[in-house]
Amino acid sequence: MWKRVAGKRELHFYLAGINNQNFLMRDRETGSWWQQANGRAIAGPLAGSVLELVPNDELSFALWKAESPQGIVLAPVVGREKEYDQKWEEETAKYPTPFSFSGHGLADRDVVLGIAIGQQARAFPLTKVRGATPVMDRVAGTSVALVTGPDNVSVRIFRAQLHGNDIELYRDAGSEWRLIDSNGNTWNFAGCATDGPAKGKCLEKINYLKDYWFDWKNYNPQTTVYSR
Amino acid sequence: MFFIPAFVIRPFRYQSPRALALAISVKSWAPIVTLILGLATLVLAGILWKRVSTLGRSLAIFALIVGVGSAVMARQNYFEWMFHPIAVAGFVPASSAKLSGNEMVMALRIGGEARAYPIVQMAYHHIFNETIAGMPVVVTY
Repeated sequence: MWKRVAGKRELHFYLAGINNQNFLMRDRETGSWWQQANGRAIAGPLAGSVLELVPNDELSFALWKAESPQGIVLAPVVGREKEYDQKWEEETAKYPTPFSFSGHGLADRDVVLGIAIGQQARAFPLTKVRGATPVMDRVAGTSVALVTGPDNVSVRIFRAQLHGNDIELYRDAGSEWRLIDSNGNTWNFAGCATDGPAKGKCLEKINYLKDYWFDWKNYNPQTTVYSR
Repeated sequence: MFFIPAFVIRPFRYQSPRALALAISVKSWAPIVTLILGLATLVLAGILWKRVSTLGRSLAIFALIVGVGSAVMARQNYFEWMFHPIAVAGFVPASSAKLSGNEMVMALRIGGEARAYPIVQMAYHHIFNETIAGMPVVVTY
């Protein structure tokens, strides 16, 4: 998701093509061509510009509703409901990928969560990340925690640091979802401490791109892969 | 000039950066060039009609279809035929949304406003120009 702004100008985008399985969009104001994968304009008057990323989330509706009971949901476009395909991921998987990157133990269409901190890009295979135990890792010197939510499906990535110190997050062994650290703090899935000395403080959320391995690798050729 | 970009920018087919740059360049010229050529085929067909045989006329009709067809298609965005854009968006409160709990959504929270975009819908529309709490945002999937 991007801020629809270039300089001081508000832009309106429309779908203009598919490029190596990401899409191309153009803005109505200048006709420039933009790449979906990285928000960069590759042709036209604004070529070279990069859109500002807007932090966003991907999570289950139930979890989102619990966190944002006053929120609103995009309604299906009337008349287009038949086009919405619950099986779109399976259907797309039948097509070939434009290129292939073997190695790293990943198949091209394996889903990874890609993050970029400083100059370092790192891919976390989703199957290794989803689970009861938070994944702790280091990217460009920054301690990060990948946490699976109470629905066992949604994942958030946080900078695992409090007051400049690295912290380690654990799931409490009980049946209820409970995230704790070794300083006596309890954290919720929004990354905020609900109990303990740090109560009221929130961890910084790190934006990630959920992508197919071949696509992430194509746009981040120097990426490392989490493989523990 | 219609076919080159259509051939290069195909889903599921690898496009090198040079091929894409060429396709974009051709596409920017296509509307005016195909229009001129389309009109030229029309005029030529009109002039030659009475003078040529049946075979000549068939060729003329074929040339017309290609010429005028290209001029028309060069001005179409067929990607939006495949994936209709959201013209007018409706929103429903979280409590009345007819989604099952495990459907995945993309979520934005800006300035106290929280909005969710079901992935099944965005996987079709691909792009949605939004404004939330005064901030212009483009939602993409």
